[in-house]
Amino acid sequence: MDFGAQTRRAARWLRGNSEHYLLLDAQARLAAAQGWPGPPRPRGAKEVFWLRVFAPTYRRIPWKVRSALIQAMPGSHRQTWTPPVERRNPAI
Amino acid sequence: MTPKTVARTVVVGGGAAGIGAGGAARAADPSGEVVVFTEYEDCAYSPCGIPYVHGKEIPDFDRLFLAGKEAYVEAGIDIHYERKVTGLDLARHQVTVEGEGEVGWDRLVIATGFDYADPGVPGSALSGLYYVKNIRRAMEWDKVIDQAKVAVVIEASPLGLEMVTALAHRGIETHLVDPHPWALAEAADADIAAPVEESWAEMGVKMHFNTRLEAFVGDDNNQVRAVRTSEGELPADLVVICTKKKPRNDIAAAAGIAIGSTGGIIVDERMATSQAGVWAAGDCIEVPHGVSNVPLQGLSGSHAYSQGKVAGTNAAGGDRKYQPVYVPWGMVAGKWMIGGVSFGETLATALGIPYVVGTAQGISRARYYPDVKPVKVKLLADPKTLRLIGAQMVGGEGIKERADFLAMAIKVGITLEDLAWMENVYSPPIGALNEPIAVAAQNGLAAAAAAKAKG
Repeated sequence: MDFGAQTRRAARWLRGNSEHYLLLDAQARLAAAQGWPGPPRPRGAKEVFWLRVFAPTYRRIPWKVRSALIQAMPGSHRQTWTPPVERRNPAI
Repeated sequence: MTPKTVARTVVVGGGAAGIGAGGAARAADPSGEVVVFTEYEDCAYSPCGIPYVHGKEIPDFDRLFLAGKEAYVEAGIDIHYERKVTGLDLARHQVTVEGEGEVGWDRLVIATGFDYADPGVPGSALSGLYYVKNIRRAMEWDKVIDQAKVAVVIEASPLGLEMVTALAHRGIETHLVDPHPWALAEAADADIAAPVEESWAEMGVKMHFNTRLEAFVGDDNNQVRAVRTSEGELPADLVVICTKKKPRNDIAAAAGIAIGSTGGIIVDERMATSQAGVWAAGDCIEVPHGVSNVPLQGLSGSHAYSQGKVAGTNAAGGDRKYQPVYVPWGMVAGKWMIGGVSFGETLATALGIPYVVGTAQGISRARYYPDVKPVKVKLLADPKTLRLIGAQMVGGEGIKERADFLAMAIKVGITLEDLAWMENVYSPPIGALNEPIAVAAQNGLAAAAAAKAKG
């Protein structure tokens, strides 16, 4: 059994759903705070779960932990990428 | 094709990434053979220009072609047109090509591009649904647009914004159906999209936000006649589908090449895939974001072309590296230019990234100079380090240049302090005394100080 492929499929499912619903959640909160029309209220069990359970739980996790979880997902970001060289001094 | 006596680089796909890869492979190994397979009739044109021909800003499609087919023959790139690659055999180093059978390769570059996401509603097979992609089809669709009185654009994606503007500019009654609360809501903030929506309203566009697509409704001839939505039915002579760009990776995935969480092929900085001797570039891959390190897929044509250059060079034995992306973007939508870099408030909030905001409403030229335009700049910075992490802008001109500059500023770690006191060009016809970026940064510093004082 190819566990790598299964992990990648699970990562795609999680990414697709979390990206969509976290964006809706962000739109709703920013719209409420800034006075813009927001998205409609969640409908059905799936939307209620992602918007009323997942999104608030995600927000409560500290950014460093969230970031570590994101980095643990399989993807191009885990391949070799040379870090940029910091150049803060004059050129000559 | 010549008998295989020299190293052969096969490129699957003739879009920006594929052509970039073909040219770079040829340059890196002039003695090698470069073969490009494309399922379309043409290469080397600008698909991004199609909405502007539809909008009549550009008079004809011929202007979108960059080079004739003979230019590639002269350059030593053997392009096989209307040849679809249906399979990859990595063990035998062969691709299966419709009409040609199995073709061997020494190095392979996958540049298979994207498909629009399936709207996933009944009626998706009706005629009258336009997916903007291929220039020959666009020429045919332009004649349909000539006859259309009412058009419906599905989703306010970047292409959706361009097509709404183009159709409205052409005088067609244009409806926009989008499930989000404002235009381009997956990338732009509400305050950035608001002027665009106002200008669309002035142009007669009917906007249907927070509206779900439910079905395409056809007539007896299977021609679309209406779009059914959660807010009711909209009559339509033409429907333009502008859903998300999904990576086209069926043959790569079937061959066992690793796919990431975006659905894009996993690559490293050399555009190498999980399989030795196989590179990939363009909309079919994912690359990391420079600030968050989250992989992204479906970027611009300039990203695809650069990635193709890297992939082609490395495939042919050279050494070139790509870098994480900061994604400067910009476009004309309605009567405005909008753009940005990296994150806006909505994306940063969605990811849960802490930020401080500085906003400024400035002008593009001296206040007294003719045609001076407003320019709004919003900067996002890390609250602790004050390093820039994103920006959004809307204005009458000068958005693209600011987006490019701010992308580089983020890349090199520029802070709000740096930007607040930046030097800027002051010349009445081209630049105001106060650069809006600098004023936004000053306001961001004030906001950061206030937040710190508040604890």
